[in-house]
Amino acid sequence: MLSRVADALYWMGRYLERSENITRLLLVTEDFSTETQGLAEQVAQAAWKDLLAIFPAAQVGAPASAFAPLSQAYLVGFFLDPANPYSVHYSLRKARENARSVREALTVEVFLAINETFRALDADARRGLVDPPALRDALSAAHKGLFSTIGAIEHTFTRDDSWLFLKLGESLERVYRTALILRTKLPALGASEPRADVALYYTQWRTLLRALGSLENYRRAYGARLEPQLVVPFLLFDPHSPRSLRFGAEAVKRCLERISGEPGPASRIIGRLHAGLCYHDERTAPGGDYAPLLDGVVDASGQAHDALAGQYFAT
Amino acid sequence: MKWVPDTSAYDETFDRAAGPRPHYRALVTTLESFTQTEIDRRERLQKISLVDQGITFTVYGEKEGLERIFPFDFVPRIIPAREWERIEAGLIQRVTALNLFINDVYQEQKCLRDKVVPPELVLSRREYKRALLRLTPPRQIYTHVVGTDIIRNDRGDYLILEDNCRCPSGVSYVLENRNLLHRVFPEFFTRYPVRPVREYPRLLLDTLLWSAPRASENPVAVVLTPGIHNSAYFEHSFLAREMGAFLVQGRDLVVEDSAVYMRTTAGRQRVDVIYRRVDEDFLDPLAFRRDSLLGVPGLVNVYREGNVAIANAPGAGVADDKAVYAYMPALIKYYLGQEPLLGQVPTYVGLRRDDFAYMREHMAELVVKTTGDSGGYNMLMGPFAARREVDAYLAQMKKAPGNYIAQPLIELSSHPTYVDGRFEPRRIDLRPFILYGETIRVLPGGLTRVALRPGSYVVNSSQGGGSKDTWVLAARNT
Repeated sequence: MLSRVADALYWMGRYLERSENITRLLLVTEDFSTETQGLAEQVAQAAWKDLLAIFPAAQVGAPASAFAPLSQAYLVGFFLDPANPYSVHYSLRKARENARSVREALTVEVFLAINETFRALDADARRGLVDPPALRDALSAAHKGLFSTIGAIEHTFTRDDSWLFLKLGESLERVYRTALILRTKLPALGASEPRADVALYYTQWRTLLRALGSLENYRRAYGARLEPQLVVPFLLFDPHSPRSLRFGAEAVKRCLERISGEPGPASRIIGRLHAGLCYHDERTAPGGDYAPLLDGVVDASGQAHDALAGQYFAT
Repeated sequence: MKWVPDTSAYDETFDRAAGPRPHYRALVTTLESFTQTEIDRRERLQKISLVDQGITFTVYGEKEGLERIFPFDFVPRIIPAREWERIEAGLIQRVTALNLFINDVYQEQKCLRDKVVPPELVLSRREYKRALLRLTPPRQIYTHVVGTDIIRNDRGDYLILEDNCRCPSGVSYVLENRNLLHRVFPEFFTRYPVRPVREYPRLLLDTLLWSAPRASENPVAVVLTPGIHNSAYFEHSFLAREMGAFLVQGRDLVVEDSAVYMRTTAGRQRVDVIYRRVDEDFLDPLAFRRDSLLGVPGLVNVYREGNVAIANAPGAGVADDKAVYAYMPALIKYYLGQEPLLGQVPTYVGLRRDDFAYMREHMAELVVKTTGDSGGYNMLMGPFAARREVDAYLAQMKKAPGNYIAQPLIELSSHPTYVDGRFEPRRIDLRPFILYGETIRVLPGGLTRVALRPGSYVVNSSQGGGSKDTWVLAARNT
């Protein structure tokens, strides 16, 4: 397929995945913040501040009023602000621009779904929504729109190289972002003590699972027991949960194996990463410190991207 | 239901004395069976559908930004079978002559030596590419896709207004308009044998592959677009998708060893036919405009060696010159020995001294156009222009009379169009699409463009026009 088209599909996949990630993080963090703001404002504050670490170049404006809940300014900034490079609006706009530039490579259903979702979101941005219930409603609607786009891709795309590049972007973005989220959240979570405030402690772990779209899958595996020593390996190594790092690395690896032509350096980088996540043992995270491992995943994702660009997009 | 008949022009639907014309009666009855509320509901439905599907075009220099929808009016324009047969035959005749003319211009130039057309009129044009002299395109076809604009005068005669032999656009709207009308007013179709238009992409692909230089192998056709910022980008992408062809930009193609290749994720892939939707001046910076970033360096050389077909072929632009138009009836006679089957608009050519004198005297009655422009840009509508505009335009004209032609203002026919809850007359034209492959085929109907401002004569989409579904009725076996 054309290199330019492969490039656009790859980025369309990345931006779609990113839109979905941000949307979910906002919905989950808003819940958490509303629940905890009165109990422990600093914890709620920290949850929002984490977003700025996960999306480094993002910026958030001032709250709408002195009485506005904590979440208000973050919701506006990360959802509808067209200028914030990590807002849902920005990411979805980019996804749609890429889709539009290779419209002939997409099915009608996929373009319709992404176009409608973006247009609804853009209308919300123009209306200048500020109150949290309305923002939440709009966020949920955007989330549904994103899933209908992903569903349209799943149901209508032929499984050729176009599909593979789209999925490659999606999976690589997911691995990268999941690793960043864990890298940001785990140190504070690991340091907190369950005795201090048992309810709050478990709420934070539950929120982490939800933020990574894994709460229900975790419960299926371990029931309602929320043990940090189970949660973290689940998010990293579970072979079946579509949001685990191992699952994501495997998805990237599969795509690379199926793309026609000779395997390149990206395959080696991802192959090693995947093997490390599959065959983990106590040496993978000595003393329960996952930071080096997560840093490694973040680096490998970046290197894999560069290798892909060199091999397929700049021919 | 309110119908406002036209009192000045030929009304396609209503006969001034006798009410709806026979082929419109069923449509008028069907429309009158709807309540106003229902019609308005359907119209909203249709607008939403256009926006959701992103059926858009771009107006240069508009603030609204990149994408605008092309307004669609749901009252279809109907052409009876017998009228269409005449139009179709006339178009086939005309395109045959156009292609012979272009071949002649780049080969023996007999028509110039015989003074059928003044040589300076052809040889001095930017569209005449001296570099392509003595070059024969595959199958001797220059005009693979032609869009010819047709209007009707106040007596209802069909007249050819201009030929577009370079990259005529609009066919995607023909297909989308039909889809849209199927969805919004399925009732319309129950009482009419409307000829389908769905086959166009397949016929286009056949036409393109017919010219492929490597016919024995599996030839590859691509659509070459200037990119997402071009006004017809929607159409480029639409046609590529419908044909199952690659949509490429200049930077996706590369010339190596006298062949054209695409840059793909699996290396280079050979290209045989390029359906170019890039202006020919931008096709190849080595052959034509050096500042072109849209083209493919070396492309014309590959074409010259016969290793790639380009549709429409470079150089075809000499035929859609507005001054050459004036000589088309003579050229049809010259090449085919036939009388033209379709009439055309009387045309004054600035190059001819007498004509120019007449143009100067009668500016206020004439529509004056530059020979090189299209899309309704740089024209003067004499009867509606202010004195100052006329003077300014005339000053320009005097600098290069040969670049101008003039025509009397034709009262374009009008058609009921739904505006603010009423059916009002709006002027229309017709752009049929003609494909020149193994045979010459005409898509039944074409794009009916409608001037949405009351009384306006300008139907171009770039000037705020809209479009209608165009029905050609099948001949009934009775």
